[in-house]
Formats: sequence, structure tokens, C-alpha cells
Amino acid sequence: MRKTIRSKSWLLLTLSLFLVLAACTSNNGGNDPSPSPSGSPDASASPSPSASAPPAANEDGLFNISDFSNKKTNQGEPLKGGSLNYGLVSDTPFAGTLNYVFYSGTPDSEVLGWFDEGMLTWDASYVYTNDGPATYEASEDGKTFTFTIRDNVNWHDGQPVTAEDWLFAHEVIGHPDYDGPRYDSNMTNVVGMEEYHDGKADTISGIEVLGDKQLRITYKQATPSLITGGIWTYPLAKHIFGDIPVAKMSASPEVREKPIGIGPYKVESIVPGESVVYAKNADYWRGEPALDKVVLKVVNPSNVVQELKSGGIDIVGDFPIDQFPDNADMSNVEWLGVVDRAYTYIGFKLGKWDAEAGQVVPDANAKMADVNLRKAMWMAVDNDLVGKRFYNGLRWNATTLIPPSHPEYHDASNPGVTYDPEGAKKLLEEAGYKLNGDFRTKPDGSELTINFISMTGGEIAEPLAQYYVQSWKDIGLNVNLEMLEFNTFYNRVGDTGEDDPSVDVYQAAWSVGIDVDPAGLYGRDALYNFSRFASEENDRLIAEGISEKAFDKAYRLEVYKEWQELMVKEIPVFPTLYRSALAPVNNRVLNYAIGDGTGMYVYQIAVSQDQPFVAE
Amino acid sequence: MLKLSTNKASPQARPRQPADKSPSGLSIVWREIVQDKIALVSFILVAAVTLFVYVTSLLLDQDQIVRVDLFALKQPPSSEFLLGTDQGGRDIFGQLIIGTRNSLTIAIVVTLLTGIIGVLVGLVSGYFGGTIDNLLMRVVDFFMILPFLMVVIAFITAVPNYGITAFTLIMTAFLWLGIAKLIRSKALQEREMEYVQASRTSGSSHLKIMFVQVLPNLSSIIIVTMTLNLAANIGLESGLSFLGFGFPESTPSLGTLVSYARNPQTLEMRWWIWLPASILILVLMLCINNVGQAVKRAADARQRKG
Amino acid sequence: MWRTVARRTTIMIPQIVLLSILVFLLARSMPGDALTGLIDPSIDPAAIEEQRVKLGLNNPWYEQYWDWVTNALQGDLGQSFRFKMPVTDLIGERIANTFWLSLATLVITYLIAIPLGIISGRYNDTLADRMITGYTYIGFAAPLFIFALLMLWAFGFHFGWFPTGGSVAPGMEPGSLSYIMSKLYHLLLPATSMALITTVTTVQLLRSEIIDTKHKDFVHTARAKGASESRIYNRHILRNSLLPIAAFFGYEITGLIGGTVFIESIFSYPGMGELFLSSISVRDFTVVTSLVLLYGIAAILGALLSDLILSMVDPRIRIK
Repeated sequence: MRKTIRSKSWLLLTLSLFLVLAACTSNNGGNDPSPSPSGSPDASASPSPSASAPPAANEDGLFNISDFSNKKTNQGEPLKGGSLNYGLVSDTPFAGTLNYVFYSGTPDSEVLGWFDEGMLTWDASYVYTNDGPATYEASEDGKTFTFTIRDNVNWHDGQPVTAEDWLFAHEVIGHPDYDGPRYDSNMTNVVGMEEYHDGKADTISGIEVLGDKQLRITYKQATPSLITGGIWTYPLAKHIFGDIPVAKMSASPEVREKPIGIGPYKVESIVPGESVVYAKNADYWRGEPALDKVVLKVVNPSNVVQELKSGGIDIVGDFPIDQFPDNADMSNVEWLGVVDRAYTYIGFKLGKWDAEAGQVVPDANAKMADVNLRKAMWMAVDNDLVGKRFYNGLRWNATTLIPPSHPEYHDASNPGVTYDPEGAKKLLEEAGYKLNGDFRTKPDGSELTINFISMTGGEIAEPLAQYYVQSWKDIGLNVNLEMLEFNTFYNRVGDTGEDDPSVDVYQAAWSVGIDVDPAGLYGRDALYNFSRFASEENDRLIAEGISEKAFDKAYRLEVYKEWQELMVKEIPVFPTLYRSALAPVNNRVLNYAIGDGTGMYVYQIAVSQDQPFVAE
Repeated sequence: MLKLSTNKASPQARPRQPADKSPSGLSIVWREIVQDKIALVSFILVAAVTLFVYVTSLLLDQDQIVRVDLFALKQPPSSEFLLGTDQGGRDIFGQLIIGTRNSLTIAIVVTLLTGIIGVLVGLVSGYFGGTIDNLLMRVVDFFMILPFLMVVIAFITAVPNYGITAFTLIMTAFLWLGIAKLIRSKALQEREMEYVQASRTSGSSHLKIMFVQVLPNLSSIIIVTMTLNLAANIGLESGLSFLGFGFPESTPSLGTLVSYARNPQTLEMRWWIWLPASILILVLMLCINNVGQAVKRAADARQRKG
Repeated sequence: MWRTVARRTTIMIPQIVLLSILVFLLARSMPGDALTGLIDPSIDPAAIEEQRVKLGLNNPWYEQYWDWVTNALQGDLGQSFRFKMPVTDLIGERIANTFWLSLATLVITYLIAIPLGIISGRYNDTLADRMITGYTYIGFAAPLFIFALLMLWAFGFHFGWFPTGGSVAPGMEPGSLSYIMSKLYHLLLPATSMALITTVTTVQLLRSEIIDTKHKDFVHTARAKGASESRIYNRHILRNSLLPIAAFFGYEITGLIGGTVFIESIFSYPGMGELFLSSISVRDFTVVTSLVLLYGIAAILGALLSDLILSMVDPRIRIK
């Protein structure tokens, strides 16, 4: 919440402009690449630009995310043992549901990232690899996967991780009593899962245990998305959870007080909601971890800079970037940065949700139905300037709906719609929106008042929304702004399908999944297609993107390029800003990287001296 | 905080001897303020700030003040921006004036509304006594035990189309109780006085006795309570706005300005955003309290100075 | 006296029932619910709806209320949606923190109030008295949140003398001496910040009581009998003046309830106030309802306590 609440917050005092975490499009279930140390390897890790020198601002005080490395420059030799302090930046305590099968929300997943991991890891383009705790082989038709768990992969209590455990995780998630958020489209894609969930079958027919360490899963549909996060890869320890009723699992001490995993560190003690102390898991399958101890504690966004300067924490999960410009020269840390898998956007309400049919119903008479009006509103706002002034260049003008965090799929040649307020006025004039006094009227001469809602959170949220209102006013549009907190905002945008008809335009943000398939956000049958836009061309492209033909990457690239063009032409929503994620790291930390496919693992993280560096 | 959570504000509200009745309430009040130098200075200060704020806000171009200017973000004080600008490039000085006006207006409106309701209910309850009294006091007692801050926050979250009017009404709904209780206890005492009995026998109507005879006798206590409540209400508004449950975000208020300090960078490096508002709240509350205390002394003859 | 307690408790019951209905209705009418945050396109909306049905969020409010009340009477306040644990356990964790914070605040409040009040009352109209009175005036006017913010900034950040968040340092063995010390250390700044503000009413009260008592007949009598000045203050005046302070104790508790919300949110101290604010923003209804009820009960008990103390120390006052 500012205000956090509005901390959120209350708050309060927020990390980022919007509660992106809660608005996550990841079609990868619990597979969120843990925001903590990167969990995945890749040979082709991006080369880091020289230097330990901090990324410098240019003379206007602007930064560019491409100047940041995602890997820490090692200084000094690793110490044997030592301990590391990790700051979980959050204005609320973490919920403490410490199991991949049950958790919801980023804070818990950051806690999980240190002591547990999935069976598969992925590379820089988010495709599953064979260097994780298990390897996989796909059948000819791409529907059947055979997984083999490595022999030396064990739970923290020494019991081997078995195929049975992996199956058990599926059985728990599919169980009618299951109370977590993982029963999703990935789950229902498993053959026999829905029958099992509805109680029509005792077992999941698509999952077969072939041996202690071997599992075979058959999926209904083979799509390119399947190998970019479409598989459930987290086993659940059956020797521990087997006797607990499913309904009681998420509240059990085995989840909350003495959680178990297979990761490089094991949980030693927990202060609920506040901190966790991890000890080294010497038996870790990749090898012995470098540190003796890791201490994770929740740090309020308003304290994070102080804690970093004093060495109270060595690394943080998610640094609030609005605090970066004032602290870019902090002497005891190195700043790492990557392009965030997220974008901020402005959406136009173009129809309604038909709950019965489960699809959107575009309304040709909607107030925002005229594409010229929407285009003019895009042309009227100078997002380049917004990024530079509000975010010192760490957020920047967005052009298409696939962000540059997916460099192959993001169409950099598509300029989107560029800032041109004069052009916007002209466009409106030609489309019949004539000036009548200060403001324009509809083509039929009646009054035009546009209702715009935006979310509170962070101190920039409100001035940013005001800026948009002003920009629209400058081209003669009368826009009313209402700032709403998260719940009210989504309630009115229509997260239950009951859209508030008084909302015409809204500003929100999506954090996108590791797969680019936009069906969940822009498909005809997607509840979260809040603009309620649909067209046959859109349907076709979305279907093509995950068709069998799309296994051919060149074809898939072409399809999504076309889709990005379509969205720039139709403008049901327009992206405003792309975002970067920053991570300060104390100079004593070695072998640390953020982002995906870096080829560096959690167990390698080390420190070069006992005490953290303190800022001068 | 006591003064944030209830209206029974401090020990001054403890029942003491009934007010001195000889000269009229207002004239004692005035005499007391003038005689007490601190109170006089406080009174002048509050009056000056109020006058300045209301007059200047009429002259200022409000649209201009709340206009986001991307080229003037977080500017330190300068000749162009007397108190610098906020994270939206908006003039702090202008916001301070409009914010003070908004906060004061809310506080005054709430104080008046609660005063009117409280006095009416208290008077009726205390004067008639019996069943009416019982009934009304049950209601008051019930609301008094509510954990004020929590219930108000829950209300504010639950209200659809939340805005300034809703905020005022919610505050009012919970803040008249203290006054009602106080006035009732005073009215109970007055009821037994001879002059009331005499009027009754001479055939005056209840209404006339209540408002023409009893009410003026309570005027000094009402003024004291309302003055102290005004200060408490300023604090309450800014406190709620600070937590994010007060003024809507785009309306400047003193609490909103202080809440910017929750960003440590603002707290550390941009004092001009939050410090003036904090000081202003402090000064306003201090001065109004001082005036209130002086008035209270007037009502309490034993402590009257010279 | 026991009859009074019994009678007051009987009155309390309808009050609490009314409060619970009010809070329950309020919580239910907030926009959104605990599942609103679960905006994830890969989850079938039908699955979310299924959860709503399972949680009873679609039933009419009186049915939900009835379910909740019947469970609450058996000590089960329901399940927190966000924390996936029983509300009783969750609040249990937090209530301890808030309890210690309140206790520390009370202790510091009286540690400050009693000496200051005595000095100020005994030597009234001296320089010391004026300074103390000045402090009480400012403390009375200063909003707690502004003062706490400044304290956090100065002593937490600028000088770095105190921790700036949490209730205990990580990795301590619960029950060990270092654990307790760490808890105390985390309490000190928030509790002092709050005490410095809340104490002023008590100082003022004590001062005026002492000044009042000073002029009472029995004091003059004692003095005439040749009792030493310190004996008069310690034996006669102080004892009589502390009684109203004791009676005020219950109301202090009521005051603390509002104060801890601000203090916990500013110092990121994981107590009930902080839990309340965050539960409101994530619409964890069961937690919100239970917390408000608990606060309500605490306030009622505080008032009852005050009246009881009052009637015990001053037999003339009969509580009704």
C-alpha cells in the first residue's frame, strides 16, 4: 500500500507498481523459476559484460537494463563454509505453506527455492533440459513422457525420491479435498486426471509407475507449451504425507514447521512468517553445498536499503526498483539485472463475459468499440518519457504483448504505436469525435466521458495514472480516474466474470509465464481476457501457436509475430511499459546469478569472507 | 492511541464539579483565552493558518497544483517551488495548502456533526431519563465498546464507491458517542436543579427548558469538548490517511503527505515532502489543544488564573 | 462484587453477539474475497468456483454466520485462507507478540509516568514542572504515527541502534536466554515510541491528582502533626493519588489496541494489528472477523477491569 497495504498494504509500501505476483499468467503451475538463486543450468549462458563497475547512469540519470549483468562478478576466493543472509522483500510475513504442492504466492516460493527443487530444470529459452534431478524422453507423438529420477536424489531424511512420490503429488493435487491452487490446465491435460478428480476413477490412468525411479505420464494434448513448463515436476514425499488426509495436508506441521525437500539446504528452524534458518544438506545430489548456513528473513521494502548497506542481508529476492536510482552507487554491493517477464498495460472494455457459454461476448456498441478512439489514446501517451522520468529508464516503452524477456518471440521490429499527440487529435477528428468546448463528443454528438480505473500500490501508481488522464485530456478526451485497491480493482474489472459496466478503461499488469502462449489472457474462452475482445483471426492465431505444426519453431515464431501485429492493429489492450528486475548482491557473494538458464546452481553459491561488506 | 481511538480524550473529561454558571459560557471562554498568553498565541496561530489556507486555496489554480509534471519530479525547494515537488512533480506548497484545507474541513465538519448529534442525544437522554435514557445509553454503550479503529477500517473497506462523503459519515457515526455520554451526565445533574423544577411548574415546555435553559448552562463544556475533539479529529484523519484508509489517494490531505514518508528514500532524502505536513499537524493539534485547555480552565473555576 | 462481575458478563454477551454480526456482515460485503488474488489463467475458473463453494463463500450470509458461530463456540474460529492454518493457531502466534509489545509499553508508560507525575505534582510551578507539562502538551498533541516514524528513522536507521523489523532475530532457540534477549531488543524501540506518547495522559492525571490531594485536609493534619515532607508524599499523597491511575489502567488497554495497529505497521512487527491490516487487504475474512471480536472482547474486559479496580479502591463508588 503506498499504502499498502494499500501494504498491502498494506500496505503498505509496495515493491512494485502492481501486485503482479497475484496476477501471474505462468502456465507453469508451481514451476515458477524460483526467484531466489536461479535453479537452472544452461551451457549457452549469456556472456556477462566485463566488469564489476556498477552500471552507470548516463548524463540524464538514466539506466539501461542491457548494461546490467545477470551474473555476479566473483571477487576473491570462496571460503570453506560460512553463512549467507537472504532478504525476502515483502511488506507482509510469508504465509508459510512450504511445499510446492500447496503454496501460493511469491514469498513462500522464495523460501522454497533454497530447500527444494523440481525434477526438471530448463534452459534460457525455458525448455526442459536433462541436467536436473530427473531426465525425460518424449514419445514420437509428443504425448507420452518417460522420466527417470537419478539414483542419488534423496529427500532430506535420506529416503530416496521415487516415482511413487511423483505420482503421489499428482494424486494429491487431483484429489477432491485438495485446497491449493495447482489443479490447473496442466493437471487436467494428464490423461485420466479429470475422471480421478470427479471420483469416477480410483487411479489416474495416464500415469504409470515403471519402477522405483521411473515414471511415465501421458498427456491428452501435445503442444509446444508442454515442454516449457507444462509438466508437474515436484514430487511429494509419500513416506511422510501418505498417512495424512489430503484436506489436512496444507495445515500440517510437515508443511509448515518441518518442511522437507530435496534441495541443497534443509530447513533447520522457522520463525513463522519472519525468518528461516537453513543448514547445508551434505547429501545433496549435485554435490556438497558451499555454505554451512543460509538465513532467510523477511525485510520490509522500506528497510531493504538500510539492511543491504549494513550487510544485514547479502542478497534479496526482489528489489523494489523505485529505490534503485537513489542507491545505484551503494559501495558494498554489485547490482545484477534482467528483463522481467512482465508488462504493464492499459485495457479497453469491449464486451462482456458469458458465464454460461464460458466465453467472451464482444459488444459492437461498447463505448470503446471504435478502434480509432483506442489508437488515439495509445498515441496520446508518451511512455518513453514515463519510463525515463518515473523509472530512470528501468522501465521503458512497450511495443507488443510479448515482452523482450522472451527475446526470440518478442518482435523487436514491430514499433507498436508511437507517441504522436497531434496525430491522435487528427485521428479523432477524422473519426468524428469533434471538439465541443474542452472535450470531444461521440460521433453522434452525444457526450463522451470515459471511466478509467487503476490500482493503488507504490508511490508512483497514482501520479502515473494521473499522467495518463492528463495526456488524454490534452487530446480532448474527458477521462475520470478512480484509484482502487487490488481486490476492488479486479472485482470491477471482472475476475469473477461479472464485469462492472461502468468501467471503460483500466490499467493493470501481467507477469507472463515461461511459455508465450497467450490463450489464457487473450483467448475467446479466457475469463482473464478482461478486455473481452475476440475475433476469428485472433482465435486462429492462438490455436496455430500451439498446434502440432508449431513444434516447428520457425513456424511458431511466425505465428506469434502475426499475433503481435494483430494486437497492435486491433488494440484491445496496449502495453505501456516493459520492466526490469534488479538484484543487489553483497561483494562477498560468489557464484550467484539471477534469471534463467545461467548454468549456475544454488549449491555453488559461496562467500569470500565471514563478514559481509558494509557500505562506506 | 487513546486520542486516536476514542473521543473520551484524556482525564479532562472526568466528571468534576458542574460548570460555573454565573457569567455566560462564551464570555468566560474569551476572557480566559485572552488572559492566557500561550492560549492567545495558539488561538491567533490557528486562526491565521485557517484563514490563510482557505483564502489562498481560493486563489490557487487547483488543477495546476495536482497536475503531474514529468519534468519536475522530486525537486528540492526552489524559488519556483517553495517546498519542492513530490514524486509526481506536483508542488508541495500548493498541496500543503489544499491538503490542510481538506483535512481541516473534514475535521470541522465531523466535529460539528458529532457535536450536534451528541448534544441532542445526550440532552434528550439526560433530561428525560427513564426508558428513553436506558435505551439510548444501551446503544451508545454498544458502540463505545467497539474496537474503534478496526471497525472503521472494516467499514471503509466495505463501502462501495468510497469517497470523502462516505469517509465523513463513517467518522461521524462513531464519534458522537463520547459527547453524548458527557452531555447526558451533565444534563442529568441539571435536571435536578431548582431552576428546571421551577420552569416545569410554571408550565414551560420540555423543548423550551432543554434548549433555552439547560443548553446554555452546558455551553462551556460543549465548547471545551468540541475544541479538544477538533484536534483529535485532525489526528484521526491524518492517522487513517497514513494507514491508507482515509482520503482517497488523489485528494491531497495532511495525512496523505505524511504517508509519503513511508518510503525510506523520501524520509531520508526528501524532507520537504513530509516534514512540513507533519509539523503542521503537530502545530495545529498543539494549538487547538492549548485553546481547549484554556477554555477548560474557564469551565473549571477553581483553576482559573488571575 | 462477584455479582457485579456476573452481571456485567451477562451484558457482555449480547454486545459480543451484535459485534460479531456487524463484523461478519462488514467482512462479507468487502469487494472481492480470498480467491480474488488467485488470478492465474492456467487455473480453470471452474476450479476456483469449486473452491468458493467448498469454502461456503457462496452461501447466504446468515448460513455462513451460523456455521461460523457454531464452530466458534466450539473454539474453532475457522481456517485462514491465506495462511492455510487454523485461525486460532495463527492468532495464537501473533497474540503473544502483541501481548509482549503491550506489556512492555505499559511497563515503560508507568516507568515514565510515575516519576514525572510525582515531580511535576510535588514541585508544581517550578521549572521542572513546566518542562514536564510542556512535554505532556506536546506529547498529547503529537500523533503517534508521526512520532513513531521519526523514532524509527532516528534510532532504527540513522543510528542503527535497534532492529527495524520483526519480533526476534532468526535462528534463535525458543526459550533460550539469547532468544528472550533478542525478543526484548526487538520490542524496545516500538514499545518506547508508543509509551512516550501514551504516558502523557497518565502524567497529567497523576500531576493533577497530587496537586488536588496536596490541599486535602488529611495532608494538612499530617503536616501539623509534624510528619516529614517525604513521609507525607510517600505515605499519604502518593497512595491516594495512585488509585485513580490504577483505575485508568483498563482504559490504557483500550488505548493500546488502536496504538499497536500503527506501531506494528510502522515497525513491521508481526502482531495482531499487522495481521489485521494485511488480512483486510487479502480478504482473509475469518481472520478479520476473529481479530475484531478479540479486540472487542479485550476492550470490554478492559473497561470492566477499570470499574472493578475503581470500586475496590474507592468503596464510595458502586459500580452498577
